[in-house]
Amino acid sequence: MERTGLIEEAAQIVSNEQAAERLYFIELRSPQIAHAIKPGQFVHMQIPGMPDKILRRPFSVYMADRANGVLTILYQVVGTGTEHLSSLEAGQTCSLIGPVGNTWAPPAGARCLLVAGGVGAAPLFMLAEELAQAAQGLHVVLGAQTKGAHVTLASYEALPNTTLAVATDDGSFGHAGFCTQPAQDAIASGNFDYVAVCGPEPLIKIVAGMAQEAGLPCEVSLERRMACGVGACLSCVVDTTAGKKRCCVDGPIFQAAEVVW
Amino acid sequence: MAGINMAVNLGGLHMKNPVTVASGTFAAGREYNDFFDIAQLGAITTKGVSLHGWEGNESPRMAETASGMLNSIGLQNPGVAALREKDLAWLEGKDVPVIVNVSGHSFQEYVDVIEALEEDVRVSAYEVNISCPNVDEGGMTIGTHVPSVETVVGMCRAATKRPLIVKLSPNVTDICEIARAAESAGADALSLINTLLGMAIDARTRKPQLARVVGGLSGPAVKPVALRMVWQVHQAVSVPLLGMGGISNGTDAIEFMLAGATAVAVGTANFVNPRAALDVVQGIEAYCEEQGVADVNELIGALQC
Ligand SMILES: Cc1cc2nc3c(=O)[nH]c(=O)nc-3n(C[C@H](O)[C@H](O)[C@H](O)COP(=O)(O)OP(=O)(O)OC[C@H]3O[C@@H](n4cnc5c(N)ncnc54)[C@H](O)[C@@H]3O)c2cc1C
Ligand SMILES: Cc1cc2nc3c(=O)[nH]c(=O)nc-3n(C[C@H](O)[C@H](O)[C@H](O)COP(=O)(O)O)c2cc1C
Ligand code: FES
Repeated sequence: MERTGLIEEAAQIVSNEQAAERLYFIELRSPQIAHAIKPGQFVHMQIPGMPDKILRRPFSVYMADRANGVLTILYQVVGTGTEHLSSLEAGQTCSLIGPVGNTWAPPAGARCLLVAGGVGAAPLFMLAEELAQAAQGLHVVLGAQTKGAHVTLASYEALPNTTLAVATDDGSFGHAGFCTQPAQDAIASGNFDYVAVCGPEPLIKIVAGMAQEAGLPCEVSLERRMACGVGACLSCVVDTTAGKKRCCVDGPIFQAAEVVW
Repeated sequence: MAGINMAVNLGGLHMKNPVTVASGTFAAGREYNDFFDIAQLGAITTKGVSLHGWEGNESPRMAETASGMLNSIGLQNPGVAALREKDLAWLEGKDVPVIVNVSGHSFQEYVDVIEALEEDVRVSAYEVNISCPNVDEGGMTIGTHVPSVETVVGMCRAATKRPLIVKLSPNVTDICEIARAAESAGADALSLINTLLGMAIDARTRKPQLARVVGGLSGPAVKPVALRMVWQVHQAVSVPLLGMGGISNGTDAIEFMLAGATAVAVGTANFVNPRAALDVVQGIEAYCEEQGVADVNELIGALQC
């Protein structure tokens, strides 16, 4: 597959702010990667100051400010690395490898449905930006546990030519329950030609199943544990109808129909 | 710096500097060529290859551990024909020798792989990974059993005139006994260590972290074990050694050479720093300059006990 070259860049932290419980936005000055990044791609980050945790961590890029060379990542604190990341301050640097992976590929002119659970809203945002500009029909379904956890909502609301449906698991905002219901409603409306999903794998699987049932092409963004993040080690493979593929460089975006769940 | 001789001879394989990469951590180099010109290394060692390819293990295949990682890739590879068509084709014309890492589930499979490559001029040497299960013998690891080591190395020796490097498993009681067996069966050089068998558990879910439960430990955590084994084997055999296990920088590499390694391989460190192997070359050079070492060969086994 054709891909742009990988870059390793020392990125300076511009800001690292808590947005909600366990959720943070980090801005990194990484001009070369910001210039090259495409929707759905990620960076493989070395979190400084963890001498006994040597591996990099993969994070999707939420926003790229090309003019200023700044990337924004939305991350959730789930373990040692992300906990430590949340303690880093502006001015510190961390090494990034990027842009890693492929990009979303909706059919030309398709009316698009984007479904995101939790931090899965991040890797879909740059795609939403592009689709909103194209004004070909865009509906976004966002799910999160609580109202407070909907930290990307304002950015999606600011997009032109876009409709939104919001769900919370605890019913504190929007549809009460998982975002699978509003996703099902949108698919059933017959108004869409393409579905893109990112979030926890059980959610991805359910929405991919719905899309398949409705005969809609569907793309999913998957997560696997990654060592190299450049396609060399085969730690991260995904089972597909065409055999094992590397999540890092052959993905992270896969056609739902090719994934063997 | 210009005056330092960095070239070494690893059992007939001429390397312009003593640094290669550890099999399975660098694919065939293409993925890392974005970060530096891989032809600057002393050799490229490719991912283990079998005759018709293997699917490898279920996921999760990787778990991070203290200063290292566990892997259970299961030697996934597309087979020797695909290696020739894609990887060796890509490496062709690059000014760097290629060591092909050979694996097999039977003694004959190793020989078949070597025979499929013997006429291919893009190959400079073989590294035979004897840490594979022998399916004919109920899955026993070949590299832990002296008679099996003698047989497989003898058969590979008969199949090739090229430098034959035998890669030892550290999961044995007496590494020297295995090293001597490989040497007497015709190995031109020995490489060590492969990964150490380990495991990791998720206490919260009460499940193993790897689908295969156990996996191979690598990275800085294994370096003291690897150094010890290189030092012991250096005393036990007279063939040159390719040392590896946790090497991340020039100083680590120098330590392996002092313990008796003629050359070194960089593995897990590539995942941390994609330029690690090149940094090791430059680190060795800087050390030589600082210490007034004119020829890197002076360092081999120069440990002062
Ligand atoms: C392509 C891709 C994009 C991602 N994008 C984001 C994002 O935008 N925002 C976000 O919050 N998270 C994202 N993740 C998940 C993120 O990488 C993990 O949450 C993070 O690695 C956890 O590190 P830790 O040290 O806190 O956890 P620990 O559990 O302590 O980590 C131990 C090891 O497991 C790995 N690991 C743990 N969870 C995951 C996981 N879910 N996926 C892959 N590796 C994991 C770690 O990298 C590390 O090697 C993404 C993962 C992938 C594969
Ligand atoms: C992901 C991974 C894949 C590996 N694959 C192979 C392989 O195919 N053949 C082999 O002989 N060794 C393989 N190894 C072992 C390494 O070549 C090396 O012996 C070991 O990792 C110790 O070196 P390190 O600590 O520098 O990584 C693999 C190691 C890792 C981490
Ligand atoms: S993480 Fe190494 S191949 Fe994907």
